[in-house]
Amino acid sequence: MVRNAAERAFLPTRNLLEEIGDMMILTGRTITSALRPPYPYGGEFVSQFLFALRLCWFPLLISTVAICYAAPGLQAANFLTIFGALDRLGGIFVLAAIREIGPNVTAIVLAGVAGTAITADLGARKIREELDALQVLGVDPVKNLVVPRFLALMLVTGLFNVYAILFGLFGGVLAELVNGQPLGPFWDTLFANASTTDLWGSALKTTIFGAIIAIVCCYKGMTASGGAEGVGRAVNQAVVVTFLAIFSFDYVYTQMLLATHPNILVIK
Amino acid sequence: MTVATREHDPSGAGGEQSLGGDGRDLSANPPHGGPPPAGGGGESEFEFHTGANRPTGVPDAIEFIGVHKSFGSNHVLRGLNMGLPEGQISMIIGPSGTGKSVCIKHIVGLLYPDEGDVIVQGQSIPSLPDAELFEMRKKFGVLFQDGALFGSMNLYDNVAFPLRQHTEKSEEEIAEVVNRRMREVGLGDAGEKMPNELSGGMRKRAGFARSLVLDPEIVLFDEPDSGLDPVRTALLCELIKEVHEENGGTYVVITHDIMSARRVAEHISVLWRGRIVESGPAAELFDSENPFVRQFLSGESQGPLGME
Ligand SMILES: Nc1ncnc2c1ncn2[C@@H]1O[C@H](COP(=O)(O)OP(=O)(O)O)[C@@H](O)[C@H]1O
Ligand SMILES: [Mg+2]
Repeated sequence: MVRNAAERAFLPTRNLLEEIGDMMILTGRTITSALRPPYPYGGEFVSQFLFALRLCWFPLLISTVAICYAAPGLQAANFLTIFGALDRLGGIFVLAAIREIGPNVTAIVLAGVAGTAITADLGARKIREELDALQVLGVDPVKNLVVPRFLALMLVTGLFNVYAILFGLFGGVLAELVNGQPLGPFWDTLFANASTTDLWGSALKTTIFGAIIAIVCCYKGMTASGGAEGVGRAVNQAVVVTFLAIFSFDYVYTQMLLATHPNILVIK
Repeated sequence: MTVATREHDPSGAGGEQSLGGDGRDLSANPPHGGPPPAGGGGESEFEFHTGANRPTGVPDAIEFIGVHKSFGSNHVLRGLNMGLPEGQISMIIGPSGTGKSVCIKHIVGLLYPDEGDVIVQGQSIPSLPDAELFEMRKKFGVLFQDGALFGSMNLYDNVAFPLRQHTEKSEEEIAEVVNRRMREVGLGDAGEKMPNELSGGMRKRAGFARSLVLDPEIVLFDEPDSGLDPVRTALLCELIKEVHEENGGTYVVITHDIMSARRVAEHISVLWRGRIVESGPAAELFDSENPFVRQFLSGESQGPLGME
């Protein structure tokens, strides 16, 4: 009785841990399968890449301009006016847009737009037993379905990060203009604070974000069960788990980057 | 791992004897008349499971030995012992939700037993390494419950898929095989259609054509007759028989339709609550004295099987 109650209470935790373990295994299998010949996933890779590109570019544009204009733009500008230091907004944009908002907004948009589409697609195929049929016909779903999505999402997320940063900075420019400031000092403080570490750090981070989105969303799709409802449930869980994973990883990554590259802590 | 090979002794010495899967449930089960209470717990659950395996005189191509499989708390296969004879059309019949589809997935290595073993042509499927399992799967043709066609391809490409995947055939040779198989199942001119434009019956027939293109030694059908009208079911059964006569091989057909069983089955295994109730040559099973088998094979409402 007691044991039953305890088991029931810990069951969700155990399931979660098991799932995390399964996702780790899937990651390992995906990477080895991507590297080991043959490489039959080229076509699927291109189509997934274009699919994500087509779906995400507009939502990402709106999101980054709006959030960068509002949060570090208007709010921080409002704060900096107290010190008459609106020229410092450029420096803030290095911290905010390049290091955090760009990567995170990119990840959120990609998970919400492309990731859910992947889960829904794979989930529906799982429910229709297409994945089983593929396996019986000698097609490895990891190599042919997960690997191309994994690579495509890593590339797309990495590229979109640059795009997000550019539009994010545009939001900052807007904020400066609205505050009637010249743009010269904004760019000066921006480039004084930006280092190559910031750029590659941001790019690496988003590429890994892409990998996380792909693994979680593929995993959730491929393990969907229970009919059409099950696909809905899988999509919902995919989003929740992806966000948790991305933000937790962001924290660990930021802490590590700051510890190993203390020079980027210095505000110039 | 429980190994209860005695029931599958190919010499058939074990004929009619009543051996439970592990011999435990029968001794603990005092004989009493009347049907058990619906969903009755304990050992009376297996009251009718004599597990008798009437001799077929043919070695088994596929064997389940003491297989247990659970999904969470749902214990689906509970010590399943089953043999399916080589070169015949065997049917696994049983009420829905008893784990018939789960059985098929064990045979092709999509699911692994928690306990026990599944042997196909002398090889233990759960212990095959991946590479050998891939080779093994080329021997199988599988028709999944809803056809499991690839939604992104038209019918022609679906049927051609195994050939493109596993053979070096030229497109002309592929076209020849595919068109022949498609005509055989009555889809001669539907090659351009996409799966979602088709009725369930057409999807099944297309799935059937796809499962046959590699001339498999073992063909597994998951409810080929569900969702079809009686005439189409009869036609499909005829088709299965014809194709079997022509190509030979071990066919395993899952169904809960007794008419289909009467038409095509040479061997029948009755599955209920994760175990075999009785199995043997079709004619003998239709004459069985077992109350559950009789109820199920005659489709009566009176008997051990309730609504649960
Ligand atoms: N992959 C799976 N995960 C969880 N439960 C499953 C899975 N496959 C089958 N089941 C469960 O196993 C039981 C038997 O299913 P199935 O073999 O499809 O029955 P049927 O005899 O009608 O074909 C059902 O209760 C089903 O919910
Ligand atoms: Mg089924």
